[in-house]
Amino acid sequence: MIELGHFAAFLALAAALAQGMFGLMGQRRMAGLAAYAGFAVMILSFVTLVVAFARSDFSVALVANNSHTLKPMIYKIAGAWGNHEGSMALWCLVTLGFGAAGALWMRTGRDLFEARALGIQGLLAVGALAYLLFASSPFLRLDPAPFQGAGLNPLLQDPALSIHPPMLYLGYVGYSFVFALAAAGLMEARVDSVWAKEARRWSLAAFIPLTLGIALGSYWAYYELGWGGWWFWDPVENASLMPWLIGAALLHSVVVTEKREGFGAWSALLAVLAFLFSIMGAFLVRSGILTSVHAFAVDPERGMLLLFGLLTYGGFALVLFAMRAPKLSGGKPWMLLSREGALMANNIVLIVAALTVLLGTLFPLMAEAAGRTISVGEPYFNLTFTPMLALLLLILPVVQAWAWGKADLKNWSKWAIAGGALALVFLALGVGLWDISIGAALGLALGAWLVIGALWELKRRAITPGRIFRLPPRVWGMTLAHMGLGLFVIGAVVETTGRYETTVALAEGGSGTVAGWTLTLDQVRAIEGPNWYADRAQLTATRGSAKAIMTPMKRYYPAAQMPTTETAIHKTGTGDLYAALGEQRMVDGAPRWVFRVYYNPMIDLLYFGVILMALGGAFSLWPRRKA
Amino acid sequence: MKQLVVILISLVLAGFAVAEDVALDDPQQEARAQSLMRELRCVACENEPISQSAAPIAEDMRARVRVMIEDGASDEEVRGWFEDRYGEFVLFRPKADGVAGWLLWGGPFLLLLFGAFIGVAIARSRRAQVDPVEPEDA
Repeated sequence: MIELGHFAAFLALAAALAQGMFGLMGQRRMAGLAAYAGFAVMILSFVTLVVAFARSDFSVALVANNSHTLKPMIYKIAGAWGNHEGSMALWCLVTLGFGAAGALWMRTGRDLFEARALGIQGLLAVGALAYLLFASSPFLRLDPAPFQGAGLNPLLQDPALSIHPPMLYLGYVGYSFVFALAAAGLMEARVDSVWAKEARRWSLAAFIPLTLGIALGSYWAYYELGWGGWWFWDPVENASLMPWLIGAALLHSVVVTEKREGFGAWSALLAVLAFLFSIMGAFLVRSGILTSVHAFAVDPERGMLLLFGLLTYGGFALVLFAMRAPKLSGGKPWMLLSREGALMANNIVLIVAALTVLLGTLFPLMAEAAGRTISVGEPYFNLTFTPMLALLLLILPVVQAWAWGKADLKNWSKWAIAGGALALVFLALGVGLWDISIGAALGLALGAWLVIGALWELKRRAITPGRIFRLPPRVWGMTLAHMGLGLFVIGAVVETTGRYETTVALAEGGSGTVAGWTLTLDQVRAIEGPNWYADRAQLTATRGSAKAIMTPMKRYYPAAQMPTTETAIHKTGTGDLYAALGEQRMVDGAPRWVFRVYYNPMIDLLYFGVILMALGGAFSLWPRRKA
Repeated sequence: MKQLVVILISLVLAGFAVAEDVALDDPQQEARAQSLMRELRCVACENEPISQSAAPIAEDMRARVRVMIEDGASDEEVRGWFEDRYGEFVLFRPKADGVAGWLLWGGPFLLLLFGAFIGVAIARSRRAQVDPVEPEDA
């Protein structure tokens, strides 16, 4: 069965080669057919892999190394991409999928351009498939087959993590098609409005799943790792944040290209960079040159191959860019204080923010080469990355009303007064009423400023309230995304500054108080699951008349010989009461259970904000109604 | 000074002997301790601060932070204590000294200034008579 998949992957390689050849020869129709064929056989190949996992066919080496008969079915299936080889197969599938989708949905009316884009996409698929087949094949047999598999990393046995990799890959690999569009546009030295319309749609198609994928990963880390935090500035997280920042810059720059034919070269460059940063993320994570708690598949040799791919694609694209960029038109004229100028500022900050993340992530490596061991973590990013983005968000509500070419500045004093008043209100409320720090109060003011600003802009565009629902979907998309950003800021500020954490050691029947809640330990029982056993504590949390039963667990997976924490989260309506079970300890001769207990206020608002951003992206993708 | 060192060392031994992951009584001191725990790296783990590690050494380090804070040490003294023992590696907030330190901390802001400079230069080079156009969708 798996041999069929192996063979199908070779067929996909042949189809991708054909797609590349026909595409670069300018044969749009043939390249499209090859793209469909490649995608179809790759689906077949991927399905055989998933079936091997579902059936626990341990004669397949990958299944034997990463699965186990006792695993629940959903994790057997998700296990297919919960490892290096399988995730590369997914990468290939998505690359070919975007090729096929491109062949189906590109609408520029430029046959040569579309053919070339498909051709480049085909070549990117050839690279991915060659890497899959010759450097990390998931299709190899094991002889003799073992009776039992080694099991999946227990941390990955989780619903959010089953869909996190596919989402993230839709984003990363989605940018491969944006890369292909940029290369094809540069080849004919025509990066104009028509190009931008097409590139914008595909950038959104990558940006939306990337956003959701990052959020899923963060939410998983929040409840599974058991430390109450939602972003750790871990290299693997940073690797996904960098393409996201570049992708966000691209979404804003490409609008200038679409509406004003400006920033063409810059948009093409960002389109190239978004994909290069995606591959670089894979390289950093998979090569093992960065230490991370999340890096589950590490191999230096594969890392070298990824680096080689990165340099080849990067070199090709940047040479092409250097040759063609001077030939691109500059678009309509504009002043510094204009919509173009504002979007340029957006791009500068987002790119510098991405470079800051890159610097912070790679700096320990560079310093080590120079003989100094340095760690870069949360405090660094809080003092560099965060203020930079805050600056950008501060001007957002004002400049999003600016016109193309030249801004009308007669309202600036009203904006300044409104912003100042908002800050003062929050300072007064924050320091006087809520007893929070000045920084936190200003952070909340910034979030509110964004939400109010987004709604204000919607109202301004509608002119009369009746027209608000007849505005183009793109305006709604922009409003939702910017509002989501504001809600995210509010959630992040409240969560970070208002988080309460403590450790309590309880005997059975004993109780302690945390953030106004009384926690009583009813009992701790040993229980057994399909492929794990656990200590499960039952806590009764009460505050006034509110009452909740919480059951945090400490699981042990014998197959992988690894413990995991299963936190218990009680949603109080305004935040999460969060408990993780720790060790058992003897205190004064009596056994006590240690619990890490957190109160995380408004954490849901933070994720709601991110979902709203993705939803805004989806609205922006919606075609405009014909008037 | 010498006395302080002796006291500190005896406290270390005392602290490590009864590593108790239990909050300090004074909430303000506990908050300071927790924020320090988020910027000290667990020396036995992969890239985790001691606030987020179940490793025994992390537990000892947490206890150490609490003991020092309770004893009236400043944040700087706590950081210094750990740096003396485990090297700069232990600080997630790298120091801004030497070429490396300046590059790391100054780099982002220099880049931002550079970007702004380039941006303004581009805008000026393209200055012309411009008629404003209202955006119609995005």
